[in-house]
Amino acid sequence: MSPSKTAAPGRLLTQAAGERQTGALVVGGHPGGTVYLIEGKVTHAESAAAPGVGELLTASGRLAGRTWQAALDAGAAAARVGELLVTQGHLTQGELELCVLGAIYDAAYFALAPASAPAEFVDGATHWLGPVVRVDVSGVTREARRRGRMLDAIFPDGRLDAAPVIPVPRPPVERVTLTAAQWELLVSADGQRTPADLAQLLGRAGYATIQELRRLAALGLLELPEARDHQNETPAFVRLPGPPGTAVDVRRPVVSLDDGPLVPVAGATTRSAPVPADPPAAGPDSDGSNANGTIYRPPRLTRRKPGAKLPKDLPPEGPPPPGADEVLLKRIRTALRALR
Amino acid sequence: MAIPGAVGASIVDYTTGFPVASTGAAPNSDHEAAAAGTADVIQAANSRSLFVSAMPHDLLEDLIITTAAGYHLLRLVRTDFDSRLVLYVWLDRVRGNLAVARRRMQALADDLVAS
Repeated sequence: MSPSKTAAPGRLLTQAAGERQTGALVVGGHPGGTVYLIEGKVTHAESAAAPGVGELLTASGRLAGRTWQAALDAGAAAARVGELLVTQGHLTQGELELCVLGAIYDAAYFALAPASAPAEFVDGATHWLGPVVRVDVSGVTREARRRGRMLDAIFPDGRLDAAPVIPVPRPPVERVTLTAAQWELLVSADGQRTPADLAQLLGRAGYATIQELRRLAALGLLELPEARDHQNETPAFVRLPGPPGTAVDVRRPVVSLDDGPLVPVAGATTRSAPVPADPPAAGPDSDGSNANGTIYRPPRLTRRKPGAKLPKDLPPEGPPPPGADEVLLKRIRTALRALR
Repeated sequence: MAIPGAVGASIVDYTTGFPVASTGAAPNSDHEAAAAGTADVIQAANSRSLFVSAMPHDLLEDLIITTAAGYHLLRLVRTDFDSRLVLYVWLDRVRGNLAVARRRMQALADDLVAS
């Protein structure tokens, strides 16, 4: 069709279906996704946020990893992976169909959710699984829209869907009731895994995962992602260039001014001072990322009680670690003293 | 395999209330509303510890709701992988036999996966 341009994925898909096209609608963005059509009917869908058929079957233990891999190796070139698994007796036809149907609607939600995204239809592209089911495009687009509305009805913050999952250290209620699925998510949430990571890890549908996470957020059990407008705040400290010869860490710790001792690291930035009643949460921080875009967040420190006094004295300093910038250190200490 | 007296049936994803497949008639001629209602009911039953005890593996198997218009049978489909599906059958009160229907649904739900 046409070269990659920003468009409404749902509309492009409906158009391709109306023309009974065979190929793949590739939707960019995050997480994006791909919907495969054969003669205008949906036969498969994939997305980074939705575990694929392979992950669903192996993470649950239904198929051994090597069984799946063997089927992939043997069947991918001829687009017969699904057929092979059934004829070789590793999976029943019913199981394959149910699994694929679930995976299609799951991935299609992420592919079709954005109102507009760079989308391109690749003529003739087919999926290595082979055609297992054929589904009407209208049903898929309608269901994707309905799922979006359902999510907003639970908790209207879409940033949760891609941000690392961070349970609150202290729940807002005395007694917490969880479903099994919510427990699984909380137990596996390590403060860095995103909903997509958790879905892959647990072998659960991507949409079901973000649905449960929104429910947890509505209960007040998840940290909400920080508003990403930190670049508008004037930082209290200027980041000085490091002394010549010091390497910049690929993963640079984000230091938050909590109760704990201040550990200076070469090239570290510090955030503006905390307001007494509202200590900063360890969320993603736009000025904390480096060229690689990785952010290292150390485990959260205990919160200072609102209204509590700041420590009178700073902890005794040891010898500055090699590479620390003395001028920067002095400025930090001066600023801390000025806070009281 | 036939369920005598069955008026309609569908397979529903109970986390989203979406009818993955449906056949026959649905209450108020609306398969999608029936599926959404089915999902609500399953979620309500699953999340109340009243119906699911503290014993390990005491999982919900089926639900039977009787209305003047008929029996609504909901049977959870067990798959090894995460599928979250429930089989819903709407059974005519006069022509259907509840005990037979329940057993056949059990077999049908297993059959969906086993064949």
